[in-house]
Amino acid sequence: MDTLRYTLRKLLYSVPLILGVTLLSFTLMVYFGPDMAYEKLGKNATEEDIEREREKLGYNKPFVVRYGNFLTSVLTFDFGESFSTNQRVMDMFAETIPVSIMVALPGFILGNLISIIFGLWAAYHRGQRLDKTIMAGAVVGMSISFLIVVIVFQLLLCSDYGLNMFPTTGWEVGMNLEEFNILDYFEYVTVPAICTIFVSVGYNTRFYRAVFVEELTRDHVRTAKAFGCGPVRLLFKHVLKNSLIPILTRIILSLPFVIIGGSIIIESYFGIPGVGSVVYDAIVNGDQPITKAAVVCTAILYVFFLTLTDILYQVVDPRISLK
Amino acid sequence: MTNEQNKQETIKKETLWTKAVRKFFRDKMGVISFSIVCLYALIALGVACGFWATEWSELNPDMKNTGPSADFWLGTNILGQDIYQRAIFSTKTAFEVGLVVALVATMLGAIVGCLSGYFSGTWIDEFFLWIIGCIDCIPFYLFVAAVGFAVNTLAQNLNASFGIEGFEYFAMHIAMIATFWTATARLVRGEVIKIKHLEFVEAAHAIGVPGPKIIFKHILPNTFHILLVQATIAFVSAIKSEVILSYLGLGVKNTVSWGKMIAEATQEVPAGIYSNFFAASAFLFVLVMAFNIFADALQDALDPKKVS
Amino acid sequence: MRLITFVGIVLSIFLTVSCGERKTAKGKVYWHSEDGAPTKLDPIESATTYANRITTAVYDTLYEYKYLKRHPYELKPNLAANMPEISEDGLVYTIKIKEGVKFIDDACFKTKENPKGKGREVVAADFVYSLKRHFDPKNSSQGSWLWRGRIVGLDDWGKAAREAGTTDYAAKIKGLQATDKYTIQITLTEPYPQILYTFAMGFASVVPQEAVEKYGKQLTTNPVGSGPFMLKSFNKTKAVLVKNPTYRKEVFDIHYEGYDEEKHGFTGIKALHGKTLPIVDTVIISFMKQDVARWNSLNKGNEIQFGTIPKDQIDNALMSKKPPKVIEKLAKKFHFDYERESGFVFSVFNMTDPAFGYSDDPKRNEMNKALRKAIRKAFDWQGRIDVFYAGIGEPFVGIIPPGISGYSEFPKDSITRDVEGAKKLLKDAGWTAENLPVFEYPNAASTTATQFFEQVRGWLEEIGYPRKKIKQKEFATFGDLNKSMKERKNIINSYGWGLDYPDAENVMQLFYGPNASPGSNASNFDHPEYNELFEKAKPMPDSEERTKLYKRMTEILLEECVGMFGFSRTRLKLWNKNTIMYPTREILSNVFKYVDVIKKDKKKKKNTKADGNGNAGDANNSGDAGQKNTENKE
Repeated sequence: MDTLRYTLRKLLYSVPLILGVTLLSFTLMVYFGPDMAYEKLGKNATEEDIEREREKLGYNKPFVVRYGNFLTSVLTFDFGESFSTNQRVMDMFAETIPVSIMVALPGFILGNLISIIFGLWAAYHRGQRLDKTIMAGAVVGMSISFLIVVIVFQLLLCSDYGLNMFPTTGWEVGMNLEEFNILDYFEYVTVPAICTIFVSVGYNTRFYRAVFVEELTRDHVRTAKAFGCGPVRLLFKHVLKNSLIPILTRIILSLPFVIIGGSIIIESYFGIPGVGSVVYDAIVNGDQPITKAAVVCTAILYVFFLTLTDILYQVVDPRISLK
Repeated sequence: MTNEQNKQETIKKETLWTKAVRKFFRDKMGVISFSIVCLYALIALGVACGFWATEWSELNPDMKNTGPSADFWLGTNILGQDIYQRAIFSTKTAFEVGLVVALVATMLGAIVGCLSGYFSGTWIDEFFLWIIGCIDCIPFYLFVAAVGFAVNTLAQNLNASFGIEGFEYFAMHIAMIATFWTATARLVRGEVIKIKHLEFVEAAHAIGVPGPKIIFKHILPNTFHILLVQATIAFVSAIKSEVILSYLGLGVKNTVSWGKMIAEATQEVPAGIYSNFFAASAFLFVLVMAFNIFADALQDALDPKKVS
Repeated sequence: MRLITFVGIVLSIFLTVSCGERKTAKGKVYWHSEDGAPTKLDPIESATTYANRITTAVYDTLYEYKYLKRHPYELKPNLAANMPEISEDGLVYTIKIKEGVKFIDDACFKTKENPKGKGREVVAADFVYSLKRHFDPKNSSQGSWLWRGRIVGLDDWGKAAREAGTTDYAAKIKGLQATDKYTIQITLTEPYPQILYTFAMGFASVVPQEAVEKYGKQLTTNPVGSGPFMLKSFNKTKAVLVKNPTYRKEVFDIHYEGYDEEKHGFTGIKALHGKTLPIVDTVIISFMKQDVARWNSLNKGNEIQFGTIPKDQIDNALMSKKPPKVIEKLAKKFHFDYERESGFVFSVFNMTDPAFGYSDDPKRNEMNKALRKAIRKAFDWQGRIDVFYAGIGEPFVGIIPPGISGYSEFPKDSITRDVEGAKKLLKDAGWTAENLPVFEYPNAASTTATQFFEQVRGWLEEIGYPRKKIKQKEFATFGDLNKSMKERKNIINSYGWGLDYPDAENVMQLFYGPNASPGSNASNFDHPEYNELFEKAKPMPDSEERTKLYKRMTEILLEECVGMFGFSRTRLKLWNKNTIMYPTREILSNVFKYVDVIKKDKKKKKNTKADGNGNAGDANNSGDAGQKNTENKE
């Protein structure tokens, strides 16, 4: 009951946040965003046609009216149709979000798992050679640009010049249960996942190591060590369990971005029809219905996950009270 | 009594800084990386003064995509431009982007963080936290893209109505600043809340020093170690983001950068032409690596509690 | 991290081995690639080649071009039963359409009497309706300009709808009528010899009213046509077409289509003579903007079956450039052909810009003309072609590209680089490094566009333009660039013009004053004599007399130095040897129906079972997973 009341209150508090996000994104992406009238009418339009098109797209209305319309669409969750493709925004999202999640998730999960293991390992051997090697590796990983990683892996794994084992681009994976084939999935997801892991491990390892080091210096861990607790048990039972809060926060709060943001670079470079590239194109082209929907959905998810972490804190650590 | 305390405070501060410097110079890797960064800075300065890499834009139509040679140390690109000179010239671009973004973002973060922390618990704090929260929940590249385009539109309007030119040149800088300052602001806010309850601040209050003076004279300087580290991190993030943004078509204009060279390389590498790719990635990698290590060393040196 | 890579590699070797036996699409599958993606597939908005390729495959047009005939291109009836009857004054066209042609089955046809939504017959009124849609103020048509002011009463109908606020599709239009079930009668305001060409464009596709009413804007993803294919799925990266089971009987007659053993012999098209169209069951079209990705995919042999050679690969892929010939290794795997585009790339100054175009001050006007000419002299066509078009092809003088009716020869000085001459021109006109205006080169953000800019900057620096005064005006997208161009904010516009139809009129209208931005005249050139001549030539069919007028008009363009023109790019096309076709992306668009794919015997029995010429019915089952011809892997 407490939890429920707390959740509701928390959600109520998030209303200003969502309002802020809509205002910000409206001003940036819609009000100052690109004008589509010319593009919609092709190469030989008349002034009159363009004026009419502007009217249709709502460019001539004052700021307040347009923002009001924006808010209405947020409240009714009806974002209408994409300006550039005429498809319903929600249909487009329904089609592309699962793809983005499927592309991003393996890399995300593995990347975090590997980082946690490296982090534990390095933290346990703090100051020793192993620690230094792992941390040096992390810095190297952090210093290589994502774009370079993508270029190199695609060259190595997907092209005639390299091993040529994976498809270069595309996403020929059945997206419903009957058509889904795990082998297709592995074929298309492996290289993007490797790239994601490669770039995220550096950052994550450093973060997790810092968390674990902090935990390792605590008294209870020292006591456990003094009592002859083995390294595996020590790390997993005493260290990992007690550092769950920062880990969970980090993981959960990056989820909305994995879901809606996708990875623009991965999607555009590997030609994956995910939501990231759809949204990016929409911002670039001024396809307002899509931008609106994307930002609002991310904000809502963010708030949702923020609340979720708060609740999870309590589950993980009963000492934290919901106040 | 206050005088004495202030004096004590200064002594304490000095020891913190001298200790940091001493600690820093004990760190071999830190010193090496710092020298590398300085070397890059010197190169950039030389470019800015026009000492070298002045012919980076010159075309040599007969020398398309050649390999390294005596005339062109790192080969030429598709237009026959000297890749070595372009890579060197890009150092200046990188420093320009990095410095502008790091300085402005850190300053903005410091000011907002200070105000927010000082007035914590009031509506001012709430307001700033609200803005930070809003920015943080929009995906990074989408936000940068949106800001970039908005600035472009704004620049055109400015140009049309006030005749102000060249504003669009900073579209990318502004976009990055708009995203990078929030992290600093959060950290500074936390630190300020801690400092706020220290005796010397309360003493300043007691003798009636005005609020703004307390904030900027007594509190802000005490967050300097955070700012320094944040600035180095922002610097690295800026030049790394520039690569991605250049690939997405939001990069620097009228000039050359490593990002632009790597974006060119995305088309060339599969054709077996690596000059641009190697030159730009090597220059970029070494600088980012050095900066990362430098930032670590700096953090270690400045944080007395830091466990290493 | 190396460990992970290693594990990944091991894992993937395992996977690739097991992938060979993966499901194979039923029937024949042709996997096509394009270098860009269409956004909308509604005929009234299908303005790009990418969109047209799909709309013309799923919808019917009255006419289309013969598959193999080039220069001159030749029209043939498609949905029309035969070529039109044209009245003597050239104003009244009477067109009969084929009887018994059916739209595909679709939910939009569902009624009580027709619960299954069987497709109904295509009638003349459908064409009338489809053309009216372009003038409906509720729609955003991109093709209405083709008929604007041309057909009696059509514009007024649109105007009336605008004023009334509602569109009355039942209202009769004098110039556009269905006189009976299968007869269309069109009355023109003045002779418009190119009108038949417009009826071969995707814009003139025949759409049933039921579908528009049911799907509204969603028509874009739910096309209901009578063409050889049906759209199965469509997104940003891929479209899948499947054979239309109710498509009318159409037989491939290679001689009628213009087969020439010498030109087309290598393709193996001869074997397709007499086959029923469409031949393949499924067409997959991958939209791959990344050159690299397209190239890698093509070279794998088991992915896309058609692609062009990207710019950066040309030096590796060709053994000679004049004429283009591919290296042995590629020739073994692919058929190769090259084709000059029906269109050209060019740069035009914005003549309304006071710094570079016309000026009210006569002295400044002359100075600007000299400046434009100096820039033209600095322009190095050969350099541009060498870097960006792999050194293949030559620039042409004038504005009408060779091979198009109406082409004439001119002296070469307007395409000859002359740095000294340019410097002299500037000096004589009184230009110095101090008073030269800032040269802002606009482009849409891309790596290649930046390279274009850098090259132009290099040339201008050579004629004494200070580097600081040469700036890049970069737009995030082509759309933004286009907007800036339409609002006359750029000083120069460099772009490509693809001909809508193979007639020089489509080129000359680019400089006709009343067509100025936001129309297609991006230079905003408005010259009384030019305009007068254009109007005089407008109703004329291609003739010597018209060519003479066009020649004079081109001379005006060259003398006024409106820009730098022009160059027609050559496209280098490769297609897998298991594919029989003669690919093109110029003028023609409904070409998938002629494509055939050779299915080699597979070692696995179950694969050979999949019958290649599977008739209509099971086309729906064709998976879109794409075909994996393992034997192509070497």
